[in-house]
Amino acid sequence: MSNEKNTLLEVNNLHTSFHTSEGVVQSVRGITFHVDRGESLGIVGESGCGKSVTMLSIMRLLDDNAKLEADSILFDGEDLSKKTKKEMRPIQGNRIGMIFQDPMTSLNPLFTVGEQIKNPLKRHQNLSGKKAEEKAIQMLERVGIPDPAKRIHQYPHELSGGMRQRVMIAIAMCCEPELLIADEPTTALDVTIQAQILDLMKNLKEEYHSSIILITHDLGVIAGVCSRIVVMYGGLIMEEGTTEDIFYRTAHPYTAGLLSSIPKEETKQKLIPIPGTPPDLLNPPKGCPFAARCKHARKLCKEQAPGFIQLSEEHRAACWLLHPAVKQKLGEVKIR
Amino acid sequence: MIEKPNPLLQVEDLKMYFPIKSGFFSKPKVLKAVDNVNFSIQKGETMGLVGESGCGKTTVGRTILRLYNPTGGKIVYGGEDLTHLSDKEMFPYRKKMQMIFQDPYTSLDPRMTVGSIIEAPLKVHNLYQGKDREDRVRELIQMVGLKPDHINRYPHEFSGGQRQRIGIARALAVEPEFIVCDEPISALDVSIQAQVINILEEFQEKFHFSYLFISHDLSMVRHISNKVGVMYLGHLIEYASVEEMYQNMQHPYTKSLLSAVPIADPKKAAESQRVVLQGDVPSPINPPSGCPFRTRCPYAKKVCEEQVPQLKKLNEDHMVACHLV
Repeated sequence: MSNEKNTLLEVNNLHTSFHTSEGVVQSVRGITFHVDRGESLGIVGESGCGKSVTMLSIMRLLDDNAKLEADSILFDGEDLSKKTKKEMRPIQGNRIGMIFQDPMTSLNPLFTVGEQIKNPLKRHQNLSGKKAEEKAIQMLERVGIPDPAKRIHQYPHELSGGMRQRVMIAIAMCCEPELLIADEPTTALDVTIQAQILDLMKNLKEEYHSSIILITHDLGVIAGVCSRIVVMYGGLIMEEGTTEDIFYRTAHPYTAGLLSSIPKEETKQKLIPIPGTPPDLLNPPKGCPFAARCKHARKLCKEQAPGFIQLSEEHRAACWLLHPAVKQKLGEVKIR
Repeated sequence: MIEKPNPLLQVEDLKMYFPIKSGFFSKPKVLKAVDNVNFSIQKGETMGLVGESGCGKTTVGRTILRLYNPTGGKIVYGGEDLTHLSDKEMFPYRKKMQMIFQDPYTSLDPRMTVGSIIEAPLKVHNLYQGKDREDRVRELIQMVGLKPDHINRYPHEFSGGQRQRIGIARALAVEPEFIVCDEPISALDVSIQAQVINILEEFQEKFHFSYLFISHDLSMVRHISNKVGVMYLGHLIEYASVEEMYQNMQHPYTKSLLSAVPIADPKKAAESQRVVLQGDVPSPINPPSGCPFRTRCPYAKKVCEEQVPQLKKLNEDHMVACHLV
């Protein structure tokens, strides 16, 4: 594990559930991970695996029907899980910035782009009038919007999807946050625009010495941007490791399944999909959440959830196949 | 050879313009969604059509099925010219040509059960009667990997991948020859995408379908297609067999489009040379003169401004529209 000085964010045993008319949905069921300073951490998983809810829990942006329980969410030594709404204000949008998936619905259509960038500057940096305007123009220029002095008076609907996402990034980065959380920032964009936005995020991260948490379902995006990866499934972490660990020393059958679902570059060999669908988190399975879709699943997997097996200093996975006792009985099981 | 004799579908100089409402006194404007597009598809073949949003790839698919009335050009299917047929004359072709839509959430009627959704095309074309029809619906549901007891359920009870299977079953119901797949996997999770692609491939082997596979996912297009067309602002700018296209691409737009695709392999991603395009796609209402790509092209010359480049034959398997090739 990393030494304490370097850790920016540490999430310990986070549980988040939602009370709905159909019952309690257990979206996040006890996850622990950390982000170092200056690091880009990727979180991968399918829709409904709890990756977005985790981020909303850290930012304390959950709806009223949500229940958050955690041993601690330490951000630079402060426990965010114990803070009130008011105490969170100086952190939200200031020390932690956030970019959402859909720039069309996350910008306010009734305010000009300039107003929306000036908002956090006024609140957190005490800039007003001309100074805020100057900084806003500077920020728009930095994120690569041509003719920023004119754009600042335009409304979101006058901009293209890529431009809107640049504005979102300008808003998230204008207070120079220590941590930037990007929730599927490029999913709604075309590949050429996606490449532009990812490059921009990488450059800004270097410039402001920020850390990034990038949430995505696209393993390609994560391979190019992140140095460490957390794989989530059914509200739990399945595997965590460096990007090389995850891609070349894959330990969990779910990660292996994700990797073999995407077409290989040169060959036309048949894709190997993961059969079935993700579990229903209204009644999460008792054992390993992936057991129902896993071709290596045994009786034990369905009855009891596996604990983490540490494979190297940074690489760990939750799977019975890696357990020493199971290994002794079955030998090494090839998962890819 | 990319153009073989007697294709199943032949598209010649296809044009689809949409009028745009403008002020009372100003000149009416047109949006040229598809401009002079040429290609052909053989029986049992898959043609991939790629490009950014707004490039006209979906309009091509819909125009071929005569969901729009083309402004110009020709659509020849099995030797018959479909371009000017009336709705009534098109009816028999509706059975041969089907479509799978992008969004499995909006393309199924929420008030119909799965059984009646799949039965609908059989009713329209008056195929199978009584008990036979019921059996056929059951057979289709099983073919796409759903369970027979799903027949009485409603679309909202299914996940995205399952709904897309229902959409596929509906398209297959009338035993078509040609299916337009309009971004059939872009709304699905990675692990489910592979399931749907495998179903499409399996049925192609079994029934010798031809597909027009419209997508912005270039790695999936490479996987499933025999040949690929790249569109930009309504124009087909490069057209080649899949091997040619991915090994010997010529158009600067194709090169940058392909290099922008994220590679799911950290070592290769670090080595790859990206050509990151600057700026956005220009508006199709007011396209640039000459080559549509010249405003973003790093190699644009004077000739690109003056003349629209035509699709030229590079070799038997490869056509490209660029002045500089």
